[in-house]
Amino acid sequence: MSVQIVLALVVFVAAYVFIATEKISRVTVALVGAALMVVIGATDDHGIFFSEDSGIDWNVIFLLLGMMIIVGILKQSGVFEFLAIWAAKRARGRPFVIMVMLVVITAVLSAFLDNVTTVLLIAPVTLLICERLAAPAIPFLIAEVMSSNIGGTATLIGDPPNIIIASRAGLTFNDFVVNLAPLIAILLVVFIGLCWLMFRKSLKYNAERVKRVMALNEREAIRDVPLLVKSLVVLGLVLAGFILHSLIGLEPAIVALLGAGLLALVTRLEPRKIFGDVEWETLLFFAGLFIMVGSLVNLGVIEALGTAATQAVGDNYFGAAAGLLFGSAIFSGIVDNIPFVATLAPLTNDLVQAGGAAAHPLWWALALGADLGGNATAIGASANVVAIGIAKRNGQPISFWTFTKYGLIVTAVTVTLSLPYLWLRYFM
Amino acid sequence: MHASDLASSASLVDRQTSALAAARLIAARSLPGLVVMDDSGAPVAVVSAVDVLGLLVPGYILDDMALAGVFDEQGSEDVWSHAADRTIGELLDDDDVHVYALLTVEANASLVEIAAQMAHSRAQIALVKSRGGGEPAFVTLPAVMDAILRFCGDVAGTDV
Repeated sequence: MSVQIVLALVVFVAAYVFIATEKISRVTVALVGAALMVVIGATDDHGIFFSEDSGIDWNVIFLLLGMMIIVGILKQSGVFEFLAIWAAKRARGRPFVIMVMLVVITAVLSAFLDNVTTVLLIAPVTLLICERLAAPAIPFLIAEVMSSNIGGTATLIGDPPNIIIASRAGLTFNDFVVNLAPLIAILLVVFIGLCWLMFRKSLKYNAERVKRVMALNEREAIRDVPLLVKSLVVLGLVLAGFILHSLIGLEPAIVALLGAGLLALVTRLEPRKIFGDVEWETLLFFAGLFIMVGSLVNLGVIEALGTAATQAVGDNYFGAAAGLLFGSAIFSGIVDNIPFVATLAPLTNDLVQAGGAAAHPLWWALALGADLGGNATAIGASANVVAIGIAKRNGQPISFWTFTKYGLIVTAVTVTLSLPYLWLRYFM
Repeated sequence: MHASDLASSASLVDRQTSALAAARLIAARSLPGLVVMDDSGAPVAVVSAVDVLGLLVPGYILDDMALAGVFDEQGSEDVWSHAADRTIGELLDDDDVHVYALLTVEANASLVEIAAQMAHSRAQIALVKSRGGGEPAFVTLPAVMDAILRFCGDVAGTDV
């Protein structure tokens, strides 16, 4: 092993440790790590900007950018708040029915929006509904953030790891819907059952308080009807573009950027409202990660690991899928699943290239493990951290262990149920 | 005109002061902000009136402004019920709220010096440094504005 490879591995592992411990901002760590890889000579300008194998994955960066712009504009319409209040009123104030409706709404929204945005939209209105009902908000918030992580697994755009996997594996929006959405629908039903078991004792019906929910006027949440109509039309076109990808020949990133441009044009909002929700730090974090992982690809580290993994797996791809599923879930519960998937994607690609069609389900095992594993602990996913922050600001603190004791149950059940699905669908 | 000429006493609050008590002080005296004392009773910081207003509004509405319109009249009255539980300490601990370090001006500072320092520090209230002990004295933004306008009127002989 050359000195260059040793240095690159030291930089990579150190960056991982800093990202996991969150002592320094993750974007700073990723960019410094990327810079050190250049200094070491593990990559160069051509490799960073133009290499499809070892450079920045522009499909991922621009798909995220396009969707951030679209969602940032759509959320200004108030439609999500309308939906949540409407659901609470349809449930006639019965707490568990409200929880089920909010869980389903959150899961469906999460399939099309990123999980953090979904939680930012659904948590405040949940606090409002719970305050009206005099019900504890913590069970609702925990249930919603978990359903967000589950629902986000269903589509290519639902969770950032899926975007990375899709780009590296050449998977389409439809591939994700066909392969993961049926399982996610089943897991959502099971999750609702778990919510009943975990939270039913804290959900008390209070007839006196119900009228306070029924008095809420959800129509007032819609602040700009023309904006809502334009946003929904453009979002519909973007989703149609994703679904018809193979017919129109446009990559998801191009579809999202065209949608973002069209929405900016027709809404004529000022730039700060169009770009205000773009998480530039997240995009830079992705860029830094791709450079670091690409450096290991350049130095042959990923290929060597891929060869070793291929030899270890042999033709036991179900065993590999099970290992990837549970390993990813455990790892994603402890550290951010984005750097994990960014690292594992080229490795999984090597395994799939070696194994052909028989090894293809490994992609789904990676996506399921990484996405569902985010529920395991309070820090397993960005959405968990955001929900806990909102709860704390509103006087409903959720401790690490309060979240994690429910998270471990939900993750164990959902990940374990994914294994027979993979076996029945791909290996039987 | 010097800082000592403009100085007056100010309403002091501490971490435990409730949002409602702070709001009463602001409303009764049309204050631009409140001076916060530390545990020893020494004035150390200033919270603006609009940040105290933020304490009265439920956090979930500030997180999502679309929710502000969904209440009926009865519901709007209920919204304020939680305000008694909130304290100035929450403002001091909130990273999103800018709590200003208390600006200090010399007792013999001129009106120009005071105005420049307050504008530069974005301070609504400044502590007037005193040599002896006694009750702390403060210069407030309205007092400085008033002095500037009177001075402009004396020189230019015109009213705005």
